[in-house]
Amino acid sequence: MSENTPTIDDLREIADQVWSAYLDPEGVRPFELGEPKQPATAVSASVSLTGAWHGHVVVTCSSEAARHAAAAFLAMGTEEVGDEDITDVMGELANIVGGNVKSMLPPATLVSLPHVVNGASNRFPTTRQICELAGTWLDEPFSISMWQGRDAGVVAA
Amino acid sequence: MKILIADDSRVMRQIVIRTLRQAGFDGHDLVEAADGRQAHDAIVAEKPDLVVSDWNMPEMTGIQVLDAVRAAGNTVPFGFVTSECTPEMQNAAEAAGALFFIIKPFTPERFKEALSTVLG
Repeated sequence: MSENTPTIDDLREIADQVWSAYLDPEGVRPFELGEPKQPATAVSASVSLTGAWHGHVVVTCSSEAARHAAAAFLAMGTEEVGDEDITDVMGELANIVGGNVKSMLPPATLVSLPHVVNGASNRFPTTRQICELAGTWLDEPFSISMWQGRDAGVVAA
Repeated sequence: MKILIADDSRVMRQIVIRTLRQAGFDGHDLVEAADGRQAHDAIVAEKPDLVVSDWNMPEMTGIQVLDAVRAAGNTVPFGFVTSECTPEMQNAAEAAGALFFIIKPFTPERFKEALSTVLG
């Protein structure tokens, strides 16, 4: 693993910035670290990193946490949040985390547009998880993880 | 003043608009663009006094928009709001004449610091 591969501390630092800017600007609804927990109904947003580094940055949380995230980002009540709001906000969350992670990777790394799966977790074949920041937000499961391609640099036959 | 906000994310355009307000920059005429081409065309058609642009956008990137308007002799104050920040990007932005480089996630204080020279 290269020296500049992001770590859980890097994810923590990015998450702290996201929470203080958008999800918890008043400092009363923090992200609590804990054991990874699979939510009953999940929303999973990811961006892919390609070029000099291959992998994915994934933000996964419960549907309820995603609804609260959308309400916080868009400054609206949770009862006003629609499916499109959740998709757009979760995509933006993955984009922000992925963009910040990219800055730690080799210069020729590219970030894809976000991809959001509502109702299930994303799966990434031929990758391995290299770090995960897991816990709860508003007592709901929330995680940010990084996955690196196992076959990076190997051309498929 | 007329401010053009260019970002392919609807959510981020809303957050930029809200953050401008929170930073004390109320009462301006706001125009939105959802990709780089729209941003370029809006700079020509709307003649904004300030452009706040994402870097990675479909059709044209933010730096391509800035290069194109500067090549056409347009000196509109132009700055970036982006989640990606590498020294190469910052150098390219500075060389192209960008006024500021704000990294997402950002705070109203960061907006105030970066934009007060233009918006007062």
